[in-house]
Amino acid sequence: MSDHAHSHGGSEGHEGHGEEHAHHGPEHYVRIWVILLVLLAISVLGPMLEIQVITLVTAFGIAVVKAFLVCKYFMHLDVQPKYVLYFLTVALAFMLLFFFAVAPDVMNHEGQNWTNVAAQEHIARALAEQGHGAAGEAGDFDAAGVFATTCGPCHGAGGAGDGAAAAALNPRPANFTDPAFWADSSRTHEHILTVIRDGGPAAGRSPLMAAFGAQFDEAQLEALARFVESLNPNAQ
Amino acid sequence: MMKPVATTRSAAGISTGMLAVWWLLASEIVIFGGLLASYIMHRLAHPEWAEYASHTNTWIGTLNTFVLLSSSLSAVLAHHAAEKGDGKKAAKYLLVTIGGALTFLVVKSIEWSIEIHHGYTITANGFWAFYYVAAGIHASHVIVGAIVMGWVAWYANQNRELQRVEMVGVYWHFVDIVWIFLFPLLYIAK
Ligand code: HEC
Repeated sequence: MSDHAHSHGGSEGHEGHGEEHAHHGPEHYVRIWVILLVLLAISVLGPMLEIQVITLVTAFGIAVVKAFLVCKYFMHLDVQPKYVLYFLTVALAFMLLFFFAVAPDVMNHEGQNWTNVAAQEHIARALAEQGHGAAGEAGDFDAAGVFATTCGPCHGAGGAGDGAAAAALNPRPANFTDPAFWADSSRTHEHILTVIRDGGPAAGRSPLMAAFGAQFDEAQLEALARFVESLNPNAQ
Repeated sequence: MMKPVATTRSAAGISTGMLAVWWLLASEIVIFGGLLASYIMHRLAHPEWAEYASHTNTWIGTLNTFVLLSSSLSAVLAHHAAEKGDGKKAAKYLLVTIGGALTFLVVKSIEWSIEIHHGYTITANGFWAFYYVAAGIHASHVIVGAIVMGWVAWYANQNRELQRVEMVGVYWHFVDIVWIFLFPLLYIAK
């Protein structure tokens, strides 16, 4: 083989292409570079309109176009023997296979028979820290509804300790509808409120009971505590 | 002098060395692809990441994209000069490309210093963990590329082993392409 840095594999259909490529001068590459820079500018400016569709198209659509230009005109992928493109495509296909096989599990935090409580809590807490959590006015705060969605995965929507994740927890969350739970005189209103606001460890309970003080304001915590207490059959 | 098999043998339509570079890139696709795919899954499933991502600096990212795109231009111009048999010119263009790599790394380290200073460390949360791992693995490719280009330029300057100019160039364009995808993922989608 000669020292010629470029060799065109014997793929027949591409002879014309190869010829054309051989004539590419530096100006041609500079032109591609200018196009790439224009695309870069668009991909930065487009998303500034803050319209989601435009963001997706300008940011990711243009990334694909830029990658294509670099592959074709800088890497000369189109004049390599065909099989090079094939095995690169196979590698790409494996990546997509990985994505679509794993994504359903990673991206869903709830399935038919399971709930990823840790992820849900993590998101709720992080959003609350960022100031757009479930917190609203206590006036229209639906304690029973919030309990069912936020606490339900562990405690069960009705507080009977039969949430989807309950079986996996040790200690298991108690049954709030069982009078025996309330017979323990240490379970005062203050105690219940502390557990919900500051988490289990703050009141001598397990850390599996997370703190919700960041997610709800004082009035809402109070409403949640009252709701839990209302489950006591002897409360009425 | 005996020439290495990689440059003299061509059982597959292209030189064995070039073929090896393509194979390397195929494996790189799986490495970066897997990483980016994992990032996208978490980014979509974690609404709170949008806020974390808003702290990356779009302008620094844009500057570095510009630097890498330009260094790809000088890499392909080096290849063009090598094709014409002009080793000296190819070496010069490779040096320009190395300059791009170094600029990229300097900008990156300034950027990271500022971020770490603000408390956005690799352990801050999932987003920043991905940010440093993905950009870090990419930066290590930039470092390796710069070193190999220096070595290829050394030979090219003596008009030797000019076929290597294309090989290292193709690798460099790939590193550029990875950044083309990292850029919108880490800097633009907010
Ligand atoms: C991750 C699962 C989980 C979630 C979500 C959860 N809890 Fe708990 N909770 C527990 C576990 C486990 C215990 C038992 C702790 C123990 O016995 O040490 C517990 C205990 C409690 C107790 C009783 C403490 C005691 O004195 O025994 C109260 C009250 C309580 N949780 C209220 C809530 C409220 C209100 C919510 C929703 C805002 C909630 N929990 C959400 C797991 C959870």
